[in-house]
Amino acid sequence: MSTTQVALENLRIIRSLMEKAHIYRAVSAPAALAGGLLALVASALPVSHALANSGEAMMSETAFVLQWLVILVLTSGLNILLLAKEAARRNQPFVSQGMRMALRAFAPPMLVGGCVGIGLVLCLHNLTLAALMWILCYGLALLGTASFSPRSLIRLGWAFVTVGLFLFFAWAINRDVDMLPSDLAPASLAMGVTFGLLHIIYALAVMFSSKPVEVPSE
Amino acid sequence: MIDFDQIDKLIHEKGRLSIMTLLSTRGEWAFQDLKSELGMSDGNLISHLRTLGTAGYIKETRDDSGTRPRTSYELTTTGRKAFKDYVEVLGEIVKAATQT
Repeated sequence: MSTTQVALENLRIIRSLMEKAHIYRAVSAPAALAGGLLALVASALPVSHALANSGEAMMSETAFVLQWLVILVLTSGLNILLLAKEAARRNQPFVSQGMRMALRAFAPPMLVGGCVGIGLVLCLHNLTLAALMWILCYGLALLGTASFSPRSLIRLGWAFVTVGLFLFFAWAINRDVDMLPSDLAPASLAMGVTFGLLHIIYALAVMFSSKPVEVPSE
Repeated sequence: MIDFDQIDKLIHEKGRLSIMTLLSTRGEWAFQDLKSELGMSDGNLISHLRTLGTAGYIKETRDDSGTRPRTSYELTTTGRKAFKDYVEVLGEIVKAATQT
């Protein structure tokens, strides 16, 4: 076998193993950055309004839910668009084996968190607990993809779970929040710190980290 | 002109090349996952992992906290660079061959 043949053969081995490795990044970094910035803005306004107006809410509970649903739809739409673009660049189907695995792992905690969170806001009028439910379930959903996700995404999952638990205990211990006329501000603060800041940190870390090895085409 | 001595002989062997490729795809691989993905025998895989570890290309982590000990492996910075350089050299060889 000539050196060129060996090189071609080895490149083929590398390419096929990389495809078999089932690595799937379910959250693209630019979408995380856009979502993070949107979340930061959406959470900063109610918090600053509450600080200036003795804790008064700047919007209704329904508006709070709708606002975060709009951010979810916008960010998910952008994420799907970017993942489809990436799949096309790699000549892979958009609904790949990796995406199916990610959806199977991601959907149950997201569905439970989403429904219980909305129920907590609309029926029990507890915005903070709803926000904590969304944060923890999103973190668990990310951790559900741990067996085929890149390490950065697993770290993001752990960050959501850790910060979510910390915020839960901080909220549960500090009952002063009950004295506020509305819990829109603490809920928005929790959403901003996690869905805003953590996503921005994740996006920047991925953008500035070393890129995976690109295998040259034959 | 390509200097064929640039090829990292340690990675050039197919078993070790396969291990390095899988480790380059994500952070950590458990021994059992590597074994099932590559279809290697325990002895063969251990021998290759030891060679790569001695070269400083991979790092072993052992977790004894569960009911069964779990050993996992990941690329070191040196290993990641060596693999990247190796793939680049392969690319250059193929490119040079197609140009001639």
